[in-house]
Amino acid sequence: MITKESSIVTEAFLLTQRRAKELLREPQWIFSGMATPILYLVLFAPLLTNIPSALFGGLSVVQMFVPGMLVLFAFGSGQGIGWTVIHELDTGVIERFRVTPVRRVSLLLGSVIRDGLFFIVCALIVCLIAIPFGFVIHPSGLALTLLLLAVLTGTVSATSAAIGLALKNIGALAASIMSMQLPLTLLAGALLPISMGPTWLRVLAHFNPFYYAVEAARDLASGHILTVNVGLGFLVVFAVFALALTWASRVFQKAVA
Amino acid sequence: MLDSTPAPLAIEVRGLKKTFPVRTRGAVPKPTPADPGQDGASASPPGQPPTPPPKQSRRGAFVEAVSGIDLDVPHGQVFAFLGPNGAGKTTTLRILTTLLPATSGTAKVAGFDVTTQQRQVRRNIGYVGQLGGTDLDHATGRENLVLAARLYGLRKRDALTRAAELLEGFDLTALADQETSTYSGGQRRRLDVALGMVGQPSVLFLDEPSTGLDPQNRMNLWDQVRRLRAAGTTVFLTTHYLDEADALADNVAIMDHGQIIARGTPAELKARTGSTTLDDVFLTLTGRVLRDTESQEVRS
Repeated sequence: MITKESSIVTEAFLLTQRRAKELLREPQWIFSGMATPILYLVLFAPLLTNIPSALFGGLSVVQMFVPGMLVLFAFGSGQGIGWTVIHELDTGVIERFRVTPVRRVSLLLGSVIRDGLFFIVCALIVCLIAIPFGFVIHPSGLALTLLLLAVLTGTVSATSAAIGLALKNIGALAASIMSMQLPLTLLAGALLPISMGPTWLRVLAHFNPFYYAVEAARDLASGHILTVNVGLGFLVVFAVFALALTWASRVFQKAVA
Repeated sequence: MLDSTPAPLAIEVRGLKKTFPVRTRGAVPKPTPADPGQDGASASPPGQPPTPPPKQSRRGAFVEAVSGIDLDVPHGQVFAFLGPNGAGKTTTLRILTTLLPATSGTAKVAGFDVTTQQRQVRRNIGYVGQLGGTDLDHATGRENLVLAARLYGLRKRDALTRAAELLEGFDLTALADQETSTYSGGQRRRLDVALGMVGQPSVLFLDEPSTGLDPQNRMNLWDQVRRLRAAGTTVFLTTHYLDEADALADNVAIMDHGQIIARGTPAELKARTGSTTLDDVFLTLTGRVLRDTESQEVRS
């Protein structure tokens, strides 16, 4: 018997590293993930060029569009882990870890941190690619945007992992992720600001945490840091992250795989 | 033996019970008191007894996978748990390895309670499930072992040493830096067992370890088990290969329908049933003959 004990920080670090290796050895997932925001930027954003910028709160089309796209990308970056979890249930990997003293929450953190970090790196690349399209980078604002949305990615990641572990079935996981993705991102105004819509839509959006993320990201990406939207965005996103992490670690704790 | 202090037990199980809810469609068939099979006319073939129908409680239908068993496994033994599919072997093993909570009863592994001292139990056991558990997604054998060792709290250098030892011991050194997805079934099984040994467990659980292995790899696995036993590790394995139990086990328990219907050394069991092989013992005991009479036990 080994009498040493690993700390939660060590465990989270080792398991993040494991997940990162996994992704780097299958880079096609990184490229296909990044393709989504870039395709939106190239093939969708131009459709909006004739809309008066007053409707976007005076922002240029690209400046309005990129932050919303990053929120879509955040969802995309976090959602995939549920599939991995189910695969690892099938191959016995999760069971093997569950019989060791490793903390259940560390298993979850490895994926959450990996997904958050990869989001930051890939989103930064997307922003750089957006520069020739007219995207203006405000360094501190962008840094905060990426931080906020990395936490949102982590929220999606924890949720996807927990759903995967709870349902143990790829079809059921796909159905539940898909059924969340469109309503959450559309009702957040990720593509076009919700403020353009009728009252009922604007009211409804306030029940969607992604809405606050989009609003905050738009302010931040334009360099407006001390706004109510930004404050609300951080408050809501961090609160939802805490909830998702708590719920997911409970699922990991109890999982009978 | 004149030893007055009883040897500490590696595994101690008392009245262990596990029920699972079952989802049924339509009415649950009631057990018929006059089972036509008892006349022998339409009896199930030996070894394939009829499955009892789910029982009913106020909370719905349930099946009893493990019905209040007792087990004592002394330290340093190889203990084989035999039984047909669905007998409750794996469920018992999963309770003993903290993967599944028991419905009632107690179980201690390496002196720790599997319900209230899970962390201590996990520090003392190794487990190799039917599924294996090797990380197959672009990880090498060495990476698998090093990560596992580091998660047990070893520093990087010590983890590398431990991994190298295990690779050597399981004859995997030549494959150490290949991705595990390229391993053959036997090689992967050896890595699975090596992964179960990373934490230097005092009790190792192997769930049907030789299923799917060719004869050569089975022999190889048997050698590994013998070596572990020689090093003082208690090995608890489930199997439905009876020659495996015969070849390896100090003690055997035969389980059927959630109950232990016989136990003893392979030799005792054979003597009691007048059989020459454990296969005969198994068929005699799990067939309908014994089931309809009182189940008996052979004690050492």
